[in-house]
Amino acid sequence: MILRTPPSRKRRADTDTSAGSSGVAASPVSDRRLVLYEEHAAVPFGAPPASSEPFDQLVCTYHCRQMVKSEFMVALGTAERENAQYKARLEALNEQLSRIEEEREKYRDETNFLQQELAASKARENSLQERLLKEVGDSQERYREQLMRISELELEIKKEMDSRMAAEQLSETMKETVRELEMKLESLSDSSERERNSLRRELSYVQDESKLSFSNVTAELERTRLRAESAEGQAELLKEQLISLKEQLDECLTQKREIEHQLSSSNISSSSSVCSDDQKRITLLQEELHNYEKEVQDAKRLKSSHLNSELLKEKLLEEQSRRERAELELSKLHEFQAKARKLELELASWKSLLNDIPDIVSYSDIPKKFAELQKEALENMAKVGEITAQLKEIKVTMEYADLSKQRAEAECVLAKEKAERSSLEVKRLQLMLASVTEERDRLRHGSSVSSKDAGTADDFHVKELEAALNEKERIMKEMESSLQEHGEIIAHQHAELKLLNDRLSDESKKVKSLERESDRLRHEVALLESKLGHGDYSSSNTKVLRMVNTLAVENEAKQTIEALQAELKRTTERLQAVEELRGQSDAALPEKLVQLKNQIAVLEKREERYKAVFAEKILIFRKACCTLFGYKIVMDDQKRPNGIPVTRFTLQSIYAQSDDEKLDFEYESGTMNIILNDYTSQSDIAHQIEIFIRKMNSIPAFTANLTVECFNRRTLC
Amino acid sequence: MASRTISKDIITLRGSAAIVSEFFGYAANSILYNRGVYPEESFSKVKKYGLPMLLTQDEGVKSFISGLTSQLSEWLETGKLQRIVLVIMSKATSEVLERWNFNIVTDAEVVETGVIKEKSDKEIMREIQAIMRQIASCITYLPCLDEACVFDVLAYTDKDTTVPIAWVESDAKLINNPQMVKLHSFDTKIHKVDTIVSYKNDEWEEEE
Repeated sequence: MILRTPPSRKRRADTDTSAGSSGVAASPVSDRRLVLYEEHAAVPFGAPPASSEPFDQLVCTYHCRQMVKSEFMVALGTAERENAQYKARLEALNEQLSRIEEEREKYRDETNFLQQELAASKARENSLQERLLKEVGDSQERYREQLMRISELELEIKKEMDSRMAAEQLSETMKETVRELEMKLESLSDSSERERNSLRRELSYVQDESKLSFSNVTAELERTRLRAESAEGQAELLKEQLISLKEQLDECLTQKREIEHQLSSSNISSSSSVCSDDQKRITLLQEELHNYEKEVQDAKRLKSSHLNSELLKEKLLEEQSRRERAELELSKLHEFQAKARKLELELASWKSLLNDIPDIVSYSDIPKKFAELQKEALENMAKVGEITAQLKEIKVTMEYADLSKQRAEAECVLAKEKAERSSLEVKRLQLMLASVTEERDRLRHGSSVSSKDAGTADDFHVKELEAALNEKERIMKEMESSLQEHGEIIAHQHAELKLLNDRLSDESKKVKSLERESDRLRHEVALLESKLGHGDYSSSNTKVLRMVNTLAVENEAKQTIEALQAELKRTTERLQAVEELRGQSDAALPEKLVQLKNQIAVLEKREERYKAVFAEKILIFRKACCTLFGYKIVMDDQKRPNGIPVTRFTLQSIYAQSDDEKLDFEYESGTMNIILNDYTSQSDIAHQIEIFIRKMNSIPAFTANLTVECFNRRTLC
Repeated sequence: MASRTISKDIITLRGSAAIVSEFFGYAANSILYNRGVYPEESFSKVKKYGLPMLLTQDEGVKSFISGLTSQLSEWLETGKLQRIVLVIMSKATSEVLERWNFNIVTDAEVVETGVIKEKSDKEIMREIQAIMRQIASCITYLPCLDEACVFDVLAYTDKDTTVPIAWVESDAKLINNPQMVKLHSFDTKIHKVDTIVSYKNDEWEEEE
C-alpha cells in the first residue's frame, strides 16, 4: 500500500527538530502551512532559480513533491543540526582559544617572570663572579702583600744574617786580637825570660865581680892587716926602744943630774976646764934627746896609723855590708824594672786593644762590651728563630691562600659552568617560547581561518590543533617544572656554597691553630725524645739497676778452663810417652831428668833475667815519664762499694813545694775524672780546673800549666 | 668459635707483662745476633712473630736472658718498671757504644684496679713484627763494632723497688752527645713500649 502522505510520526519528528533548532533559518514547513515546492525550493540553498518552464514538466505529483519535500526537509534538518553543532564546536574552540590565549598570556607572564628570574640569577651570578674575582684579586693582593712581606722579612733576615756575620766577624777579630795578645804575651814572656836570663847572667857577672873585688879587698885587708901587724911589731919594737930610750933618758937625766950636781959641786973648781966638755956632752945629749923625741913621734905616728888601720877595717866591713845590701837592692831594682816594663807593655797592649774596640773608653767597659756583644748575638739568634717561625707561618698561610685560591677558582669555574648551563637552559626556553608563540600564531591563524571558513573547517584540523595544544601544554608544564627545579637547585647550591665557605674558613682557622700546636708539640716531642734517647732520668723517682752480668768473666774462666784442659791433655800424653820411655829404657831416665832439670834451671834463670830487665825498663820508663812530664804517677786499683772497679791515679809534680800538693784522678770506663782534695780545692787550682778540665776538657793542659806555675814559684823563690 | 675470638681480644695485666717480657727476650737475642756481640754460629733459627727469629744456644746467655725476662715480667706486673736499656760496651775499655732504650709506660688504672683491656693478639704481633724488622735492619746505619763487645742490661725502676739479689744499683752508662734513631713502638693497651737506639758518634762525623 502506497501512503499518500509521509508518515506523520516522521514529520512530527522533523517538525520537532526544526522546532528544537534555533530559528535562524526556520523552514517554511515548520509553521505547518502548505507551501508550493517551487515557491520555496531555491530559498534556503541559493540554488539557481528554476525556470518556470520545467515547472510544468517537473511538476510532480503531490506524492512525489511530498517525498522530495520530506527528503529535503530531512536533509535541511540534518544540515541545520550539523550547522548548529559546528557553531557550538566553533564556540567551544573559540572558548578554548581564548582559554589558550589566557594561558599563553599566563605563560608569557611566567616566561617573563622566568626571564626576570634568569636575569636576576645572571645578575647574581655576575655579582658572584665579581665577588669571586674580587676575592681572587684580594687573595692575589694578599699573596702579593705576603710576598712583599716575605721579601721584607728576607731582607730583614739578610740584615740579621749580615749583622750576625758582622758580629761573628767582630768576635773573630776579637778572637784574633786575643790571639795576637796571647802571642804578644808569649813574646813578652819570652822577652822577659830572655831579660831575666840576661839579668841573671849580669847578676852572676856582678856576683863574680863582687867576689873578685871581695877577694881583692880581703887580700888588701890581709895585706893591710899584715902591714898593721908588722907596724904593730915595729911599734912594739919602737916601744921597747922607746922604753929603753926612756930608761936611757932617765939614766941620762939622772946622769945629767948627777953631772949637774957634780958640776955644781965641781963648778967652782973646774968650771972652766970641764965646761967645754960638758957643753959638748950636753949638745950630744941634746942631739940624742932630739933623736929620741923624733923616734917617739914616729912611734906615736905608728900607733895612730894602727888605730887608723883598725878604723879602716871597721869601715871596710861596713862597706862590705853596704855593698851586699846594694847588690840585693840592685837585683830587686832589676826585677822591679822588668816588672815595670812588663806592666808598661801590657798597658800599651791594653791601650791598643782599647783603641781597636769601638765604643770603649776604659778597661771596665771591655767585659761590658763582651756581655753586650754576647747578648746581641743571643738576641740575633732569637730574632732569627722568630723570623724563621714567622716565615714558616707565612708559608703555611701562603699555602692555605693558594689552596683557597685554587678552591675559589674551581668554584668560579663551576659557577661559570652553571651559568653557561643556565644560559643554555634559558636559550632552550626562549626557543621553546618562540616555538610556542609560533604555534600560537599558527593556532590563531587557524582559528581565524576556521572562523572564516567555519563551514568548511574540518575535524582533522581541529583535532590536530587540539593535539598540538595539548602537547604544548605538556611541554610548558615540563618546562615550568624544570625551571622550578633549576631554581631550587641553584638556591640550594648557593646555600651549600655559603655553608661550605663558612666551614672552609672555620676549618682553615682550625688548621692554622692545629698546625701551630703541632709544631709546638713536635718540638716538645723532639726535646723529650732526645732526652729519652740520651737516657736521662730524675733521680728523685727513678733508680737504675743493673743485672749482674758474669758472662764475660764466665767466658774468660771457660777459656782458661779449656786452656788448662788442653794442657792437662798434653801433659797426660807426655806422661804416657815418658812412661813408655821409662818402660823402654830405665837407665836413660836419670840422665834425661838431669837434662830437664838443667833446662828448667836455664829457663828460670832466663825468667829472672827477663823480670830484672822488665823492672829496669819500667823504672826507666817511669823516670822518663817523670822527667818528661814533670809528675810522679802512682797507680792504685780500687773497687767501689757497688763492685765497680776503679783505677786511681795520684800525681805529684816534681816542682811541688810540699807533699800535700797532689792531684787525684779516677779512671773509670774510658773516662778520667779529677777528684777534689785539699790541694785542688784551693781557689787558684780550682779556678784552673774549672777552666782547663771543665770548660776546655783538657787534663794535659791543666797539668802542664800547673807544672809551669810550680816551676816558676820554685825558681823565683 | 665466637667465644674464642672474644677471649683472644681480651688482655690482662699478666698477659701484657708476659708479652712485653717475651718481646724483650727476643729483642735482646736479635740485637746480640745482629750486632755480632756473640758469634753467628751460637744462634739458631725459630719462627716467632711471623718472622724467622734467632735465639742464642749459649747456655750462659740463655740462662741470663731467661732470668732477666722473669724478673722483668715480675716488675711489669707491678707497674714499677719505667725503662729497660740494653747497653753494648767495648770489652777492652768498657766504653759504652750503643744503648737500646725500651721505654715502658704502664696504664696505672689497670695496675690499681685490674681492669681488663681489649686488643687483638694479631695486632700486637703485627706491631712487634715491625719493631723486629727495624732491629734487623739497624745494621745498615749503625756504626760497625770493630772490637770485642759485652752487653749489660739496665732497668729504670721506681725508687721504692726492692733490689733483687741478681741486680745491683748502677750508673746510667750514658753516651756523650749520642746519635739517636727512634724505632716503632707497640702498645698492648696496658704497656706501651717505645724503642730508641742511641749510639756513639763516629769521630769523623764529629770533625765535620
